[in-house]
Amino acid sequence: MQVYLPIAELSMNLFFLVGIGGAVGFLSGLFGVGGGFLLTPLLIFSGVPSSVAVASVTGQVVAASTSGALSYYRRGQIDLHMAMYLVLSGVLGAFGGVATFQVLRAAGQLDLVISLGFLILLGFVGTLMLIEAARAIMKRRAGIVVREKLPNQHNWFHGLPWRVRFKKSRLYISVIPVLALGVAIGFVGSLLGIGGGFILVPALVYILRMPGNMVIGTSLLQVVAMMAATTILHAVSSQSVDILLAFCLMVGGTVGAQFGASAGKYLRGEQLRALLAILVLAVAIRFGISLVMTPGDVYSTAVIGASGVI
Amino acid sequence: MRRLLLALALVLAASPASAERLVTQVSQDEVSITSSFAGQTLTLFGAIEPDVGAEQRFVEGPYHAIITITGPLQNRVARRKTNQFGIWLNTSQAEFERFPSFYQVLSDAPLSNITDPITLAEKEIPLDSQARYTAKAGWWDATVFGAELTRLMQQKGFFKLNENGVVFRSDTFYFAQVALPSDAPPGPYLAHTYLIKNGKVIAEKSDGFSVRKIGFERFLGQAARTQPLLYGLVCVALALFTGWLGGVVFKR
Repeated sequence: MQVYLPIAELSMNLFFLVGIGGAVGFLSGLFGVGGGFLLTPLLIFSGVPSSVAVASVTGQVVAASTSGALSYYRRGQIDLHMAMYLVLSGVLGAFGGVATFQVLRAAGQLDLVISLGFLILLGFVGTLMLIEAARAIMKRRAGIVVREKLPNQHNWFHGLPWRVRFKKSRLYISVIPVLALGVAIGFVGSLLGIGGGFILVPALVYILRMPGNMVIGTSLLQVVAMMAATTILHAVSSQSVDILLAFCLMVGGTVGAQFGASAGKYLRGEQLRALLAILVLAVAIRFGISLVMTPGDVYSTAVIGASGVI
Repeated sequence: MRRLLLALALVLAASPASAERLVTQVSQDEVSITSSFAGQTLTLFGAIEPDVGAEQRFVEGPYHAIITITGPLQNRVARRKTNQFGIWLNTSQAEFERFPSFYQVLSDAPLSNITDPITLAEKEIPLDSQARYTAKAGWWDATVFGAELTRLMQQKGFFKLNENGVVFRSDTFYFAQVALPSDAPPGPYLAHTYLIKNGKVIAEKSDGFSVRKIGFERFLGQAARTQPLLYGLVCVALALFTGWLGGVVFKR
């Protein structure tokens, strides 16, 4: 069944949209990530203009992360104090990201930067994750009991000025790394249409040394708040949020995520991480190939400015 | 607009010397884009009659007809990728102002058999003429990028030349069918008919029709443009609600 997307101005199959939303939702439930990093590329590769894909997926990421954030909130596993700093700086970063998005779109380099951004970011994170997961699997094979690292080791940047006590996370650290992290995630997330959960979670664990039980909930809340702000920013500045497209993806995504979450119980943590790493790397490689391979057509065309003038 | 005015002026100033009059009709004034819009076919009819006040009470062929259908105009850019440091990126571009988003030429015989290239070029009929007179770039870029843009638009199905698109049912009556694709750009369309006899354009006629989003699609498209902040807030509210509902429904 074809459905006409009023902002993308093209017809797409409803079942295809709900289907990819569901498939990505399944994976995001399985791995506990937002899924934007898979959905945006999938939409771009299936013909949705990259600006509409990026802007609409931000809406879908909000939906995908809401139910998770709520359940973590009920269990008291969100550090609201830390989240506040992350969200405020994240929104600031999102302003920068959306502004950059506009400039790049006008200059015709948006596709290039999106491809490069995904390649570098996903390639880097995917490789790190794969190495870490492979080590964990090897250790388990060898029968070594892995003990979780204590989070209380400080780095030099924890001692920077403006130290704040985060009671829930039992941290007394400078807010500078927290704010820097928020701005970076906000910028990258709004530029590439990803929630950034898969960058934020490791960053909270390894850089800020946040305790494990707080990490997922806090990161989910940050993703919800920042992506909500990004959706509004995209709607106002580029007017390329397709609510119908986002809604189709949301419906598929929320349903798929539930099945993914229950399927996740049958896999061990490091196996999950290894699978996720392979997935992330596959997307990165796909972008890399599209950059390096001789394109089928070196010419392309796009509408500039407001469409539909007489 | 320039072209529209020109066309109107030509129609109004139709030379009184010609003995023929063209009567045309489009099957629909308005094409509605609904949620299940999958393209639509329009039919254009035309009849050739003796002009009002002409001495001759009948018309004599053979006639040829060329119909151009021009969609809403947009500012467009054509870009070229080159390989820099191993990766492919857009390095040069040319802009085209008020370039038609949709352009089809229909005729009853190959254009070259109907009239001479000069007349065709004067009337800006060939597909590649669209790029020529809208280019903002210099002559060389306009030629190179214009040709590529025309090719790309043809590939996307927005530009088309159909030399058996017009069918004469008698010497003086014809019809033509235009298929609008599912991604036809919404906006005003102009169907311009040239009636040709012995290689000379003897009558012209313009008909307009519009492709519009209606109902919910129109509402959404307008809301996104006129109330972007509210639209964004509604998107977020919808996302939060969907997410919350998903959690409630599945966790019991």
